Amino acid sequence: MAGELASPTPALRGSARRTAALRLLRRRLIQAVPLMLGVVVINFCLIQMAPGSFLELMTAENQVSDPATVALLRKTYGLEDPVWMQLLKYIWALLHFDFGFSYRQNMPVIQAIWIHLPATILLMVSSITLAVSVGVAAGVVASMKVRTFWDSLVSVGAMFFYAAPSFWLGIMLIVLFSVKLGWLPVGGMMKIGGSGGALDILHHLILPTLALGLFYAAIYTRVMRSSMLEVAQADFVRTARAKGLSRNKVTIHHVLRNALLPVVTILGVQMGTVLAGSVVIESVFSWPGVGSLLFDSVSSRNYPVVLGIMVLGSLVVIAANIAVDLIYMWLDPRIEIR
Amino acid sequence: MQRFEFLGRFSRNRGALVGACLILVVALMAAFASVFFPTDPLRIVGMPELWPGEDPEFPLGTDSLGRDILSMIVHGARATLLIGLFASAVATLIGVSVGAAAGYFGGWVDEIGMRVAELFQTIPNLIFVLTIVVILGSTLTNIVIAIGIVSWTPIARMTRAEFLSLRDREFVQACRSMGMSDLRIIVSEILPNALPPVIVLSSLVVAGAILFESAVSFLGLGDPNVASWGRLVGDGRQLIRSSWYICAIPGIAIMITVLCLNLVGDGLNDALNPKLRDR
Repeated sequence: MAGELASPTPALRGSARRTAALRLLRRRLIQAVPLMLGVVVINFCLIQMAPGSFLELMTAENQVSDPATVALLRKTYGLEDPVWMQLLKYIWALLHFDFGFSYRQNMPVIQAIWIHLPATILLMVSSITLAVSVGVAAGVVASMKVRTFWDSLVSVGAMFFYAAPSFWLGIMLIVLFSVKLGWLPVGGMMKIGGSGGALDILHHLILPTLALGLFYAAIYTRVMRSSMLEVAQADFVRTARAKGLSRNKVTIHHVLRNALLPVVTILGVQMGTVLAGSVVIESVFSWPGVGSLLFDSVSSRNYPVVLGIMVLGSLVVIAANIAVDLIYMWLDPRIEIR
Repeated sequence: MQRFEFLGRFSRNRGALVGACLILVVALMAAFASVFFPTDPLRIVGMPELWPGEDPEFPLGTDSLGRDILSMIVHGARATLLIGLFASAVATLIGVSVGAAAGYFGGWVDEIGMRVAELFQTIPNLIFVLTIVVILGSTLTNIVIAIGIVSWTPIARMTRAEFLSLRDREFVQACRSMGMSDLRIIVSEILPNALPPVIVLSSLVVAGAILFESAVSFLGLGDPNVASWGRLVGDGRQLIRSSWYICAIPGIAIMITVLCLNLVGDGLNDALNPKLRDR
């Protein structure tokens, strides 16, 4: 009996981890509420600080003259009410995903953003995948060949990509691979008139992914290198070596997994930066995502869309952070996350 | 004596030394731009789209309108560096204030400060900058403040950590028992000791701010009266098929400056925090 209790079966451990993950999820969701509220309040303050009236802002480009629409907007946002009441009504509207109406796209703001979201998520996921795989690989190589030619080469490369503005890197990639060599398309997500097959999209995805991902690859390379060097000093690594395991085996099974933790932490912190970076990259490559929508809305002063993207962008960041926390838990079961 | 030791440690880092020299060159370029190129850099001076080296009068060539690229780069250095410095100053001011209050007072001040920092980290930074700039107007001041607002969180966290480790040391307790006010303890006792790592971070924020500004200008939302490097890249974007150097040159200028600032930051880190040197 006692033996059974001391060593629970794998199935039991699995379910225990599932409940722990669920508990973490619930706690994170509760913590997300004040954060979102903060984002909305900042949004509201920006609207209040803007020159011109709230109504002018929300009707975008002042193309609305229909009295019925104006009256409806006045009622929805309570423009005759005191400021705090306006804030409450604004929060109430956002809770119902009512971000206003975009006259440029002739559809509700939320719908306009929703249509563009998949392309951006695709670009973000592919860039992060590239950044993590290149960064981890380069960091491991540099740490295993520390203070050699390879280590210096990796360091110089990381320094270069860490300093290059992503939009400029994107343009230079276009010059080389599209204009000079003609291997890859200049921009867009699929061939004009094309059916948009997976291969076609992949073909168009390569350059934007490189332009956005290499900057983060540089960061992860540096973090991974120093983290590998640090973990390699740990006692459990010496124990593993003393057990007679080969150097490669120790590096892969013992050092690598533990050295990944700081990379995952940074990944979570930087999720917002990656999303923001995709704004610039999308405009360079005419990638039809939220970034292109934002750029278009910024140029045409379509404020409801701009503000909506800020709120929904923050929501994406919070969701991505929760995902990263769950990955963290999976990587390091010792850690009971706060 | 201490200062010489610091300089010695800093100059032992070759990368940092090279970086510092190049930054100095860029800064001198920015300061004496109107001496080297007294005329308006945006004036049309020659044939359009001359490649670098094609005409010795324009070593870096001319752009689509026939403006001297070298002159625009030299003049753009001033705008780029000043925006970077001021934005970093704004970020440092906010970050140090929030971080110092949070670390020194602890409790609910700490809780609120760190929650606000988390909030600002949640909003995608460049989207925030673009939103502020587009709603409040594309002026230089708004851009600088907007970049400062999205860059202060790491400085706040670092300052808070330093204050947490310093606030219960003997010298602070001595000040407290002497009846010194909290403000005076924070500003004149703890802050000077907490500054070295904050300075390192601020120098890295300058680099980040330059990248932010270049992205904002590249997207065409910069101050229309300022020809920063990012705007030059954006202006040249239409001509990448025939004259890609118009885009390439200002981008290289941004990259070298950011690279050097990062190197200097690393060097400062080694010199100011000798404990971490062997990492």
